[in-house]
Amino acid sequence: MIAIDTKIKRGSGELAVLALLDQEPLHGYEISKRIAQVSGGVLQFNLASLYPLLYRMEKRGWVKGKWEEAQSGRKRRNYHLTRNGKKQLAPLRAEWGMFFQALHRIAGVAHAG
Amino acid sequence: MPDNQELIRERLGNLGLGTCREEEIFRELSDHVADHAAALEARGVPRDAAVRAALDSVFNWPEFREEILSAETEEAIMNYRTKVLWLPALCALTLSNVMLALIQVFGPPPHFYWFYTGKSMQPMIAFFVPWLISQPVVGAVAAYWSRRAGGALRHQLLAALAPVIALLGLFVLILPFSMVLDKHVAHNIRLTAFLVLTVVWVLLPSVPLLIGAAPFLRKPRPQSS
Repeated sequence: MIAIDTKIKRGSGELAVLALLDQEPLHGYEISKRIAQVSGGVLQFNLASLYPLLYRMEKRGWVKGKWEEAQSGRKRRNYHLTRNGKKQLAPLRAEWGMFFQALHRIAGVAHAG
Repeated sequence: MPDNQELIRERLGNLGLGTCREEEIFRELSDHVADHAAALEARGVPRDAAVRAALDSVFNWPEFREEILSAETEEAIMNYRTKVLWLPALCALTLSNVMLALIQVFGPPPHFYWFYTGKSMQPMIAFFVPWLISQPVVGAVAAYWSRRAGGALRHQLLAALAPVIALLGLFVLILPFSMVLDKHVAHNIRLTAFLVLTVVWVLLPSVPLLIGAAPFLRKPRPQSS
């Protein structure tokens, strides 16, 4: 498995989190699990890389953490995508799309899709 | 065994964010550790080992703490590397050079070692012994500062050795320029001078710098409140 550089991971993390939360609200551990699953283990966020990212996004008003009771009865802090966060999603997608197209033109990096 | 929240609090210390927000952060992180540990337990890892492994997924707790604080204030007042490396290194560099300047002005003259160059005896090496004696203090200050700021062992070492690393960088930069620009001195003499300067101003002062730093070199401890 290829380890992704921390800076790339951080940059892409915002998009990954926003895209996941666009589908449904999730708590931190579930976010890290989904990112690892969907990316086939290429992107992995642990305690130290995920929460500063979430807190920063929350400060910017892109996501909102709410303590909610899970089906198990346990209270979890679920992150919800805010209207402001939703607005960020399209430009971020476009920005990363352009980035990969540029890399493809320069270095022949093609996406797997 | 203490609960996860307590273990995280021990490692992160007081965040200074207000009781309510801190409690919320510790609780949330503790939930994450519990989930991670439960996933490991499900794969057959014993409970204690699973919790330890979940906590060990954070390689550097002081850095994690800084990241949380930076995210919470949404401004990197001073980034982690500046605090643990650049500032102590700059302090060591300044202190070392100030000491050298003072010793050159007020101290005893340097010890010259003479070499026979084929035609005559030439002064090749100048030792400022009082300056060398003063270097453990510089190493100690830099290593202590870096450690207090939460620097890893490598940051403490690099900060303590900053004065000699800077000189080595300077010599390495000057050598090719002098070879191109100054055509009056033969290349072999310049290379010899480079080696002699490296030994006298880099390798030799490294020893007292490291001696001074040694008592303070330690792996960073989790900060407590």
